[in-house]
Amino acid sequence: MEELKFDVVIVGGGPAGLSCGITLAKAGIRALLIERGRFCGAKNLFGGVVYTKSVKELVPEFPNVEPSPVERPVTEEGYYIVSSEGLVKLLHRKKDPHEAFTATRARFDSFLAEYALKLGLEIAPKTKVLDLLKEGQRIKGVIVDRPRAFGDPRPTEIPANIVVIAEGVNRVLTEKAGLIGRPFGAEDVALAVKEIIQLPKGALEARLGLAEGQGLAVEIIGDITACLPGTGFIYTNRNHLSFGLGLFLSNLRESAFKPYELLERAKNHPHLRELFKDGEILEYGAHLIPEWGLEGLPRLYGDGVLVVGDSAGLVNPLFREGTNLAIYSGIMAGKTIIEAFEKGDFSSRTLKAYEAQLRESFIYQDLITLKKLKKHLFTNIHLFKTYPELLYDTISLFFSAQGRPKREVMREIFELIRKKRGFLGIVGDLIKVGRALW
Amino acid sequence: MLRILVSIKQVPDTTNIRINPETGTLIREGIPSITNPYDIIALSFACYLKNNYGGKITVITMGPPQAKSSLREAVEFGADRIILLTDRKFAGADTLATSYTLAEAIKYLQAEEGPFDLYLFGKQAIDGDTAQVGPGVAVRLQVPVITQTVKFETLDLEKRIIRVHRKSENGIEILEAKLPVLLTCDKGLAEPPFSPFPLILKAVKAEPEIFTADGPVNYQREKLGLRGSPTQVKKVYTPEVKKKGKIVDLSTTPLKKVVDEVIELLKSKGIL
Repeated sequence: MEELKFDVVIVGGGPAGLSCGITLAKAGIRALLIERGRFCGAKNLFGGVVYTKSVKELVPEFPNVEPSPVERPVTEEGYYIVSSEGLVKLLHRKKDPHEAFTATRARFDSFLAEYALKLGLEIAPKTKVLDLLKEGQRIKGVIVDRPRAFGDPRPTEIPANIVVIAEGVNRVLTEKAGLIGRPFGAEDVALAVKEIIQLPKGALEARLGLAEGQGLAVEIIGDITACLPGTGFIYTNRNHLSFGLGLFLSNLRESAFKPYELLERAKNHPHLRELFKDGEILEYGAHLIPEWGLEGLPRLYGDGVLVVGDSAGLVNPLFREGTNLAIYSGIMAGKTIIEAFEKGDFSSRTLKAYEAQLRESFIYQDLITLKKLKKHLFTNIHLFKTYPELLYDTISLFFSAQGRPKREVMREIFELIRKKRGFLGIVGDLIKVGRALW
Repeated sequence: MLRILVSIKQVPDTTNIRINPETGTLIREGIPSITNPYDIIALSFACYLKNNYGGKITVITMGPPQAKSSLREAVEFGADRIILLTDRKFAGADTLATSYTLAEAIKYLQAEEGPFDLYLFGKQAIDGDTAQVGPGVAVRLQVPVITQTVKFETLDLEKRIIRVHRKSENGIEILEAKLPVLLTCDKGLAEPPFSPFPLILKAVKAEPEIFTADGPVNYQREKLGLRGSPTQVKKVYTPEVKKKGKIVDLSTTPLKKVVDEVIELLKSKGIL
């Protein structure tokens, strides 16, 4: 039997793990990726938008690949602001229609896996990593649930010079590696619930005003989440659409709603339900999203170990980034590992270069921004209740101003704003958001 | 050493399948493919025999190129050789043409590497439910067949006798057969093994040998695919559930009355 020893073992076949694997395979490093699901992507879930630039870093010929994981390019993007009384759409046609595309994880992740396999990455699906092999503090490999031979009750030890943890949000191994300062709480994660809905033929294009080859990515704010902090989303796929909600687990726990009740409520929202008429649910799923940001950031390296993607918590909910951050972190980890092999040193002395790279990148800068935003924005109930209502009411007044003195209409609008939030309140909110962003 | 041949089929996952009520045809769009569950039993049994008696497992399947993934799955069960029969000329085959195509391939393999001791088929495929291909191949190979094998008892390698249980309408038949024999495998015969890690790794990259209508097997063209299939589907329909059960609400009817009623009913049907 061939000896089971690898230069690198990667735990988890999502975009972070696969990006690291692809980077290593390109450099000729013997890496093994272990995935728990039946195939890469089988157990994974996301809203549905991927950014072309990040994928091109891995697959230069993208998007000219066959079979393509692209559902639709995102040609139109924006917000729906929903109040109980109505809907304001704020959409823009994108300058570059190829900048982003929609996808499903089952197809996107397995596309990356196929690409990685061709480059020489070894992939073992249907296998669970039980624990890390350790020598003191140094990580020396992994232990998997499967035996070496039929009937052998013992799990298999797989030694490696470096272990890359790309296990996702639950970060069991990250904890076993001793890299976590504090466990995450309900306020550190969002729960995303999502349905893939098949519409009658032609309905998707007709209802959203799209032509073939055009796609839409919309975030929904307001009454869609019953005014809880969080957003809804609609992304169009080739023949169906992804619809879902993302909410902080802590808010959800405090509210009277169960996630599926909220999703049902959102789908039946009087100003959205026409969109889903006669739709058939093909899939539904739920997943946690790490939003612990800087405070919950684990140590990203140790002796013989690196942490990438969701396990690290590299997600920016405001700008819908997660998959691309996973990809970039996977590539950075890969580059650091290549360096480690050149030096022949797998200790934290070399591996800390990964964290340094991350700190210099936009990813880390954004985590800082996000920390401030989270404090002021995500906890600001006005954003999810008062402002959506105010916006709709104001616009509604403005567009029904015919046949009345316009000064009176304006006065009414000002009165409305004063009553709902007050100018000082608005200025205060703006300053807070401004401070966080600049 | 046992030489085992397993024949498998990739099928749409019928737990997800729906039937268009207007046309009566299967809605196949977007339905994932799986290895026929009864064939998984055949593979599991082959794996069990190989692990306990030693042996070599050869797995064949006929289907489109994507059926390769089922053959890769077979490697996780310890398959040593995997063969994909794929060609447009094979397409549209009924059970007659399918059993011809498979049997000729098996004959070719036997001429190449010696006869098989056991031929394992699933009881039936869950998409067609005919249960005809296994017996059809047995006739063409001129080997005895035991259908609906539900339990394995013994295998005497010296006397070359296998003893198994067969499910029939009247109960269980305990049968002995001299090797070679073809078994069609039913629920209960074997459980899928927990595959070892090295086989998982091997399966991902396994590439099957490809057999086409042009070779290496010498096929008579007119017996292949749609041309070689006399079966004509006149109509497909969803059977209506005719027998309605009787529901008695225990919150409104006293228990004793319900029991009496059930006994009366069973008597009237001649069951009691």
